[in-house]
Amino acid sequence: MNIINSLQDFLHYDFLFYALLGTLFLSITCGLISPLLIARKNAFMGSAISHSTLLGLAIALSLFSSENSLSIFATTLFITILCTLFLAYSTFRQKLPTDSLIGIFYTATMAMGILIHSAFAKTKTDLLSFLFGNILLLTKEDLLLSLGLLAITAPLIIIPFKKWLFLTYDEEGAITSGVNAKFYHYLFFILLSLLIVTSIKIAGTILIETLLLVPGFFALKFATNIKQTFIISVLFSTIFAVFGIIIANTYGLPSGATLAVVLFVALVLSLLLKKIYNLVRSN
Amino acid sequence: MTEPVAVLRADKISFSYNGEAPTLKDISFSLYSGESLGVLGPNGGGKSTLLKIIVGLLKADSGTIFFDEKSSSEFKKYPFEKFSYVPQNSELNTILPVKVSEYMDFAKSLYKDDNSLSEIDELLELVGILHKKDSLISKLSGGEKQRVLLARALITNPKLLLLDEPTKGLDSNGQDQLLAIIEKIKKRDKTAVMIVDHNINQIIRNCHKILCLNRTYHWHDHTDLLTKNILEDVYHCEFEHLLIHENDLDNNAKINEADHHLFCDHNHSSDKETHSLLRRKK
Repeated sequence: MNIINSLQDFLHYDFLFYALLGTLFLSITCGLISPLLIARKNAFMGSAISHSTLLGLAIALSLFSSENSLSIFATTLFITILCTLFLAYSTFRQKLPTDSLIGIFYTATMAMGILIHSAFAKTKTDLLSFLFGNILLLTKEDLLLSLGLLAITAPLIIIPFKKWLFLTYDEEGAITSGVNAKFYHYLFFILLSLLIVTSIKIAGTILIETLLLVPGFFALKFATNIKQTFIISVLFSTIFAVFGIIIANTYGLPSGATLAVVLFVALVLSLLLKKIYNLVRSN
Repeated sequence: MTEPVAVLRADKISFSYNGEAPTLKDISFSLYSGESLGVLGPNGGGKSTLLKIIVGLLKADSGTIFFDEKSSSEFKKYPFEKFSYVPQNSELNTILPVKVSEYMDFAKSLYKDDNSLSEIDELLELVGILHKKDSLISKLSGGEKQRVLLARALITNPKLLLLDEPTKGLDSNGQDQLLAIIEKIKKRDKTAVMIVDHNINQIIRNCHKILCLNRTYHWHDHTDLLTKNILEDVYHCEFEHLLIHENDLDNNAKINEADHHLFCDHNHSSDKETHSLLRRKK
């Protein structure tokens, strides 16, 4: 199948159109949150949240059959938010490194998820499809739910945007100017878990990390001020995520893995080009 | 005539980290409008801890902080509007590329409905950094960064300014310039200033009151009695001496009188809690 035919598919088939729309919204939100995630040094925390969704999924699949996507989604979200709140509580303004706790937590929740799934799952759905995303699993309900959640998430990042930045850049200055750091700390992790659970079927619980980290990393490498950082991050995330979904459909590849590879290749190529440009300029 | 109201008053503040030996014990002082209080002491003496308790970043084990003679616990939420705090510039995030004007804008955006705020350009002009408005803060020198932090703290025209080691890492010129700006603000707006610093000369020259902290020990309100020599004695001899012995005690080593008493005449026991200080003999 060539790319033109593939593009036509996105218009002809509802589930593909929704997948494209879902990816677009997801990538915009990830692009917005990504520089904050990196600057707040919470990348590993994002990883822990995404792994703990597996526990939520396993419990949900033990309680409901795999066709009942709304109940599965709600249960997964509930369990993931509980895990996230525990992590957020344990890491708020801690001077000691919290990476070991996060490491223990995310392997433990993942292991519990696998055990619960193998012992109690109603139907032995392949957990791999949740780990790595598969747009063929998408239903209209899934996408409407995802779009609804993204419509909540994006304003919560955009409206208090300067507060997020102030807290991230000068935490003590922001707190003593009256910004409620605790509230924003918890809100940030709840938003992250919403994003991660929402993206399970598009990118997968593991590969969503790419969308959360690569755009911000790219932007922080190239931007020269704060405005540019977020514009570059959102553009990079959107362009390459949509491109990834189109490639995945064209060649029948798993969507999450394709997204991850496309974003990674784009990042490596741009860094290489930057290096070459700097070398040429210095000579 | 009515009694002047203290802008800031601390009453018997005590604090310890995780139940360890107290970092601060029964610290009390008052600070009035237009006055300045310098806080001196060795690393680990509790200077920044005291400042963080006052600004609400840490909670004291006991004691009360009063702002305009109203206890901080009487306010519905911590009264951040009563002061401005300038943390050490090393606390700034080094990952985000933030310009001076953007940083000022973050802070100003918190007070959208307040018309009494100072203009950003005026503040940057006041601290002598207007020409760097569009520069990245990460590219500025230590002194310039400190001025940016000071300008940010002045947005709300505070009655009380609390500064944590503002001259840290600056050369003597940079220190003089920064302290001159603080002095100017203090005189112009009758701002009460509390400043934590290591520079004894600057503190003596610029502050009305001095508080020396080393865990449970403190002085205040006696600048008339203090001289550089006395402070140096306290700072270089006694504090150092105490730390040496605390290290010994931590290591369960027996104090060797001969080692550490060549130039000091101190009364102390081998118990860390009762280890007491006397001023160096002239």
